[in-house]
Amino acid sequence: MAEIIKVENEFLGEKYYVTKHKSGLEIYVFPKKLTKYYALFATRYGAIDNAFKLEGEDEFTRVPDGIAHFLEHKMFENEDGVDTFERYAKFGASANAYTSNTMTAYLFSCTEHFYNSLEILLDFVTHPYFTPETVQKEQGIIGQEIRMYEDNPGNRLFMGLMEAMYEKNNMRIDIAGTVESISEITADILYKCYNTFYDLSNMALAVSGDVDVDKVLEVADKILKVCNAQKIIRCYPEGEKAEVFKKRYSANLQVAKPMFMIGVKDIDISSDPKIRQWKSAAVNILDSMLFSRSGAFYNELYDQGLISPNLGYGYDHAKTYSFNIISGEADNPELIYDRFVKYIDDKKQNGLDRDAFERCKRVAYAANVCSYENTDYIANMLINNVFEETDMFGYTDIISSITFEDVTELLNKIFKEEYYTMSVVNPIETK
Amino acid sequence: MAKRIPIAPGASLNVIETDKFKTNFISVNFIAPLSSDTASLNALFPAVLRRGTKSYPTTAKINERLEYLYGSGIGTRNYKRGEMQIVGFSAHVMDNSFTPDGTDILGGTLDLLCEMIFSPKITDGGFDKAYVESEKRSLTDAVKAKINNKAQYAYIRCQQEMCRGEAYGVQETGTVEDIEKITPDTLFSQYKKIISDARAEIFYVGRNASENAEKVADKMKTAFASVTRIESPIPLTEVIREAKEVREIVEDQPVAQGKLCMGFRTGTVLDDGDYHIFTVMNEIYGSGTSCKLFMNVRERLSLCYYCSSSPEPRKGVMFVSSGIEVEKKDVAQAEIIAQLNNIKEGIISDEEMDSAKKSLRNGYLGISDSAGGIESWYLGRRLAGLDDSPEEAAEKIESVTKEQVTEMAKKVTLDTVYFLRGTLLEKNEGGNE
Repeated sequence: MAEIIKVENEFLGEKYYVTKHKSGLEIYVFPKKLTKYYALFATRYGAIDNAFKLEGEDEFTRVPDGIAHFLEHKMFENEDGVDTFERYAKFGASANAYTSNTMTAYLFSCTEHFYNSLEILLDFVTHPYFTPETVQKEQGIIGQEIRMYEDNPGNRLFMGLMEAMYEKNNMRIDIAGTVESISEITADILYKCYNTFYDLSNMALAVSGDVDVDKVLEVADKILKVCNAQKIIRCYPEGEKAEVFKKRYSANLQVAKPMFMIGVKDIDISSDPKIRQWKSAAVNILDSMLFSRSGAFYNELYDQGLISPNLGYGYDHAKTYSFNIISGEADNPELIYDRFVKYIDDKKQNGLDRDAFERCKRVAYAANVCSYENTDYIANMLINNVFEETDMFGYTDIISSITFEDVTELLNKIFKEEYYTMSVVNPIETK
Repeated sequence: MAKRIPIAPGASLNVIETDKFKTNFISVNFIAPLSSDTASLNALFPAVLRRGTKSYPTTAKINERLEYLYGSGIGTRNYKRGEMQIVGFSAHVMDNSFTPDGTDILGGTLDLLCEMIFSPKITDGGFDKAYVESEKRSLTDAVKAKINNKAQYAYIRCQQEMCRGEAYGVQETGTVEDIEKITPDTLFSQYKKIISDARAEIFYVGRNASENAEKVADKMKTAFASVTRIESPIPLTEVIREAKEVREIVEDQPVAQGKLCMGFRTGTVLDDGDYHIFTVMNEIYGSGTSCKLFMNVRERLSLCYYCSSSPEPRKGVMFVSSGIEVEKKDVAQAEIIAQLNNIKEGIISDEEMDSAKKSLRNGYLGISDSAGGIESWYLGRRLAGLDDSPEEAAEKIESVTKEQVTEMAKKVTLDTVYFLRGTLLEKNEGGNE
């Protein structure tokens, strides 16, 4: 039997277990005395993986945009005709799935009969079944999902930002694809994608709740077969420049007020996960210092009536993409952009505020301490860390190690005008 | 079960102890009748209070203070439950036992919260005029921005049309015109009225309840003593149990997808005593991923990505929402009605019955994993004069029978059909031959 490793953090008072199951699947078990159980079975396969081959194959396979998401939908159908949701319903579990740019994840939460539902999860995700008829049926449902996103200004704003920021990076691809791209999907292509990416060696299982490691492994023993452990070679576009591709994107939708999203492109991504994790935490503190509701940027713009109260900001730093986002609603997004540029220049010249640094570190400290409050969040965070190759308990030490000088240096490195772009959704002009 | 501690006339603290979380949750809720005369005033004053207090006169100062208190959050709240408008604040606070330096986060956050409610920044005997203007602008923007989310917009429009002439048709923000009319004076007097006259339900959900709740109670008692409180009842909600003729409303918008929202009178409400039967019926009909609407409108007919029903237990209404192709409106509407008729005719499988109960049970039991969920449950029960726990509610549904569900479904009548007709693709297709 494979070794079960215990990973513990005394400061947080939390622990989890990790083991490589004999099937080849990595299993993470995070015991937590809560009422809800949560399980997440995920594969390293998302919207950006549109060209790939297995080691030994001659040619790359190119697939239509949106296929990872389409496959996620189709996995819920089974050969015996019984819908997966109906199987879960027998045990009262609430099931779902999602596809991101880099991952497809199947999940359920429940308060009882956890191991029965876990059996269903492991079983249906390892048993694909598609026919031309069922593929066609799904094109109708996903077609409506795509239409829904087309009408969603937040989605348009973000996709517009990716199109402006990146010339080549596959973050430009809409996760659901387009009505046209999904019409090219066939059962055969779905099997090809499935057989490539749903190999257990490319997947991980995370469970959280009042669980027992041995019982989880018993279910895995019962359902999972030994995988091929094949090597996947992914082909991503190369030669993405440091500068943004375009300075602006704009679309017109029926919204009340223009919406803006300022992006700061960052192609400086370390191959060392520890460095990535440190940078992510440090820039998050820097962002709070710059854009939080105690800061001058927010308060001046808001007091002058230039922005709506819901200014958002965040830094996303992953293996294949990295950017800062500042978003909100304003009558004149160009004015906000100019003020943003000036504000950052001023901070670079006159320095950041040390008090703000201390306060934002306190906020980061508490956010880390209070992260482990529900099983849903825990399992998702665990998988994210596994796929990003980072240590989820590492934040405690990282946050205390970050200095004022560190964030000052990051301010000067990351915030440069050639890395800025903006996406805007304007209201449709009414005649 | 929640423990109740009297704070002032018409004001009580409800305490629910749990050691599941490292953060504690506090809320202060003022409960007013929902009315077009006061909705926008009630919506606005908490936002103005959040801008500046006596000791922290600017928003920046308040937020600096909260960051110093390890990122404690204080947010305003404004929503409707039946024909009640609930306004106030909620706060989440890391438990003092996890601070590295002994900062009294709970005490600090409570002081700030109480000051926000009872000692705002005052200029010339009233609210700061600039804050009032600024928050009027933001609230107006928020009302206008409802058009951004089409599904939500269709839902609101259906509510408005169905309940025109009833208080429930009033939006908890009021209208742009109502907001426009507000002056610092009218706002200040409404604020004074609410903090003295409106029923107040305060919640503490968290650790170490004996000590912490006492702290909350002490600070709240002192704060509430600064106003003359009166005992006030929970506002009533008018219930119409049966729809008359069906009204259909169609509105055009340049969007890709049509949004259908169908409003029903349920014929039953939370304080009837048998509402748990309706809850099972709703679960079978339109909630979750094994209900009739999901299995038929989505899975069998591929008409939509989502189709679900959401009931309002105090008002006795239910809305079915779906996003569909414009040409499929009649097919979808017919199927939504057909599925309800199936339940009325007793076409319910044992599996559907069983799944609905298990799904509800799962939902009830899961409430205890979220402080906000716990608070929302007990506040909702309190407003209906109930005090049962989610676990008790889970027990109660077990004995519900198919026959009871069928009888309950027969009380449901269609009142209003609202369709947001997307015109975007129409035009494209016209030019694209």
